[in-house]
Amino acid sequence: MMNAQGVPVAGTASRALRERLAAHVFLACTVVALATLGTVVAVLVRESGLFLADVSPWRFFTETAWAPAAAEPRLGVLPLLVGTAQIAAGAAVFALPAGLMTAVYIHQYAGPRAARILRVVATLMAGVPTVVYGLFALHFVTPALQAVWPGIEAFNALSACMVVGLMILPTVVVLSREALDTVPVSLLEAGLALGATKGRVVARVLLPAASGGILAAVLIATARAVGETMIVSLAAGYEARLTWSPLEGLQTLTAFMTQLGLGDAPSGNLEFRAFFAVGMVLFVGTYAIHMAGRMLVSRRVGTAAR
Amino acid sequence: MTRAAPPRDPIGTACGIAAALVVSAFAVFAACLLVSARGVAGLEFLLNTPSALAARAGIGPALAGTFWLLLLTAVLALPVGIGTAIYLEEYAPRTRLTALIESAVANLVGIPSVIYGIVGLAVFVRALGMGPTILAGGCTLAVVALPVVIATSTVAIRGVPNETRLAAYALGATRWQVVRDQVLPAAAPGIVTGCRTAFTRTVGEAAPLLVLGTASFMTFAPGTPAHPLTSLPTQIFWWASHSQEEFTALAAGAATALLLLLLTINLAGAWVARRLGGGAP
Repeated sequence: MMNAQGVPVAGTASRALRERLAAHVFLACTVVALATLGTVVAVLVRESGLFLADVSPWRFFTETAWAPAAAEPRLGVLPLLVGTAQIAAGAAVFALPAGLMTAVYIHQYAGPRAARILRVVATLMAGVPTVVYGLFALHFVTPALQAVWPGIEAFNALSACMVVGLMILPTVVVLSREALDTVPVSLLEAGLALGATKGRVVARVLLPAASGGILAAVLIATARAVGETMIVSLAAGYEARLTWSPLEGLQTLTAFMTQLGLGDAPSGNLEFRAFFAVGMVLFVGTYAIHMAGRMLVSRRVGTAAR
Repeated sequence: MTRAAPPRDPIGTACGIAAALVVSAFAVFAACLLVSARGVAGLEFLLNTPSALAARAGIGPALAGTFWLLLLTAVLALPVGIGTAIYLEEYAPRTRLTALIESAVANLVGIPSVIYGIVGLAVFVRALGMGPTILAGGCTLAVVALPVVIATSTVAIRGVPNETRLAAYALGATRWQVVRDQVLPAAAPGIVTGCRTAFTRTVGEAAPLLVLGTASFMTFAPGTPAHPLTSLPTQIFWWASHSQEEFTALAAGAATALLLLLLTINLAGAWVARRLGGGAP
């Protein structure tokens, strides 16, 4: 170690230097990290701001067709929003009841072996990349659906909903189970001591007591379904249309965004900025849902600690 | 499956059925994948390049691309992310601003990765002139991983009991000594688990890479980060986009390889976390 004059120093001086160095390195890491994440938000805000300078927010949110690459661009985000809502709602129909009931089963009914198997399966499911689930949806679920339901299109919302549901299942199971774990056992025992059956205690004591945490699980799982990209890109098709039929294809906010890299990517014009406007809508939506979910979780942890 | 509940408990029965359905849904998924992939298993599949002839196609370049991306993400995201978590938890003043930053970063974990993709295209590929290369892909995935690494490391460091710090300070340790000798060893298993989560997420990531522009057809394995972007997940996407059955089998084979890679990463991470955990009280 040398000081500024080039004279070797030892002991306390070099320790003080190491001390300062460590603090500066960690501060530098923080500055780099926050600058990087800040840039992400800044780029999104800037490009979508430029988009909204050309296209009024009114038009963006009320026009009912989305075709930014057309000669006469249609720039209504509504079909994408409705498509995203459909996929999220459809996935919730498949995943929420099954996931919550599985969590109750693990918590209340399963023996140690069954609980272990279910935990392993949930961990494995959570680790599957979504593109693999997309492959499953397009080449295995859709043909199976077509076999029983000949009218269904090759790209359809139903298959995407089912497999997005499969994808968010482990999130629902794990987070609901954590919510159930925070309910004091004494509460359940009190119910049983009053002569209630186990099922009644589950329905009237366990679930209401854990409802905040379960709602958080639902919100975080929904945010994942809204942000799901590869399953819907592969299985639901590339056509933005305002439809309610699960048998037809649709496009979500996320599926539209992958198109930026699939064709000749536009640059610096309205079409390019449309991707950032859609990205901003997606960012605000998922950030808000996720934040609400995390706030519920922290409140739940707060009550459990008391 | 064992059922501890008495027979007249419809809620218990329903929950048991739901659990069985969840397990069988996953079993069907795994079976479909493995049955479809069995035709392509073999060393040649791992080494060959993608080809218009399905019988000769392989995942060599995609596998090499994924290893490059893994390396770049680790080098770029881990030190910065863990360093940030240490600063926020151990050095930064406990103000409302610090709490706000921590919560904002934790919420970024829930942002769909495709958003990082379009920003990566604008910044890394275009503004910084990297083009659609492995390097641009690695940088983008590092940004995807960053909030995950920060958020999980923050939680791990926060879990270290404050008594540990106070005891070390009382013995005359400096802040850096406390961090190096007490906090980091105790938080290490949690940090490793967090990094594992980040890798599981980024290694399987296809959407942001597709947005950057990936090579769907690469005839050589990328030897440097300046080579065109390719990876296992994007290769799966391109093969899955074909309608012929031979390509579905290729996609299923690549998916099986990806799942095995992820399993290896997770088992290795769990092993490291356990080893580190054994040393701490």
